[in-house]
Amino acid sequence: MDSDRTVGIDDHDVDEVTLVARGIATAVAPEGGLTDVQAELLEAIASALTGVSVDYRTLEPLGPEEYADILSGRDIVYRRRIVHHMVLGELVLRPIPVVVAHRVATYALALGVNDDFVRVARRYAQGAYGLAWMDLQRNGFVEHVREASGEEPSDKVAPRGSAADPFEPAQVDPELAARWSAFEGLPPESLGRSVWEMYDGRGFGFPGTPGGAPKYLAQHDFVHVLADYGTNLKGELEVFGFIGRADPDPKGFAWLATLIGLFETGYISSAGFFDRDVRERNIRAPGMLQRVADAIGRGKVVCDRYGVDLFEVDYYDLAARPVGELRELLGLPAKSTAAIEGGSAGLFDLEGMSEHQRRVVAQRRGDET
Amino acid sequence: MNRNFSQTITVRCDDPAPLLALIAEWDLNQSTGEIMGYMGTRVLADREKLGHYMIIADFGVVDPNVSAADEAARNNARPETRAFAERVREIIDGEPEYHHFDEIYRTDR
Repeated sequence: MDSDRTVGIDDHDVDEVTLVARGIATAVAPEGGLTDVQAELLEAIASALTGVSVDYRTLEPLGPEEYADILSGRDIVYRRRIVHHMVLGELVLRPIPVVVAHRVATYALALGVNDDFVRVARRYAQGAYGLAWMDLQRNGFVEHVREASGEEPSDKVAPRGSAADPFEPAQVDPELAARWSAFEGLPPESLGRSVWEMYDGRGFGFPGTPGGAPKYLAQHDFVHVLADYGTNLKGELEVFGFIGRADPDPKGFAWLATLIGLFETGYISSAGFFDRDVRERNIRAPGMLQRVADAIGRGKVVCDRYGVDLFEVDYYDLAARPVGELRELLGLPAKSTAAIEGGSAGLFDLEGMSEHQRRVVAQRRGDET
Repeated sequence: MNRNFSQTITVRCDDPAPLLALIAEWDLNQSTGEIMGYMGTRVLADREKLGHYMIIADFGVVDPNVSAADEAARNNARPETRAFAERVREIIDGEPEYHHFDEIYRTDR
């Protein structure tokens, strides 16, 4: 992987980065000022994306109209990504003060950005967790995340009435299952063989088999291999932060926002299976802010160099090629020193697995000896 | 203070299933609709009076300058809300009975 992290980082003027940061900080600050987690997360992201270090705690306020004037020369994609940074800054608060959620909506409106997650954050702030949950459920995310949390996989073949396009319910598909099984015969270090080892080692059911992951969601497992992220919740935060920012369409932000809303702040803990994960405080864990920021930074590099939604890549066509070669194709940089020092685990590291996954791996290794 | 507001609607009907389906459909539409004060609904079945139900619709603050009660009033004026109320009337017996409350205590706040 490319270890030169300055490659892909645009030349950014310190004054410009500071102006952008001022607007974000003003929008998301609670009454007592930015919290430590907000400041550190936003600083880490700014640094990963621009190479510029900004102290978010000392910025002067900047109102929505003035902010909109400053960003008027920027296109809607850029402005929407700025709004997403604001939403991230909100989502790490619990509770989200109504005044903050309303203020972020005001900034989004001034910037001409209409975004679903501004609305979801306002529902969290209001306390309308049920409505927010219904909104999030539409993306069919629940089962996948449930597995990543270390719980026993449920029968995902059963139709899920809430699943909506593009997340079709998992189907038993012998042809698809055969394609995944055939990955076993591919050369070591190839993408297909690596993803096969990931599934086989952890006891995951192949897509197309009863209980297997839906084909669409299984796409992100190829990204676990390529970006070398673990499959516990910390790894999922990294991989979806990466995928979301690698998507040229800002809609990819939904992945990270959903994960944080579900597991970090536990806004929908009443749904029953999130409590343990909320207690773990994944994003507040030591090193995680740097890991997530680095994943977003790596995603931006891939977005600039490759420019394709990683959920839409035909990995089956690429499966026989070496992982290293595909990383070059994507322009995928190595993890930063800060992310590695922060504990970013590789796909096959035990530290990158949930307790359930570790038990399966240990059992299988025991069976083999 | 972000004081919530609740509207209770007491109704009578032999079979609550169509009522529940209607409310679930309403919630689904609200979940992706324009942000407003509506937070959600509970439906309670009266154990002493079979066929009597209480619908509790909760409203909260989404704009620091607008109270939850005012949000509810705005909601009440929306065409889709009026259409929903008409559909409720079609599946219940008699007239619904409305009451309005400000929330002054909640355990989980």
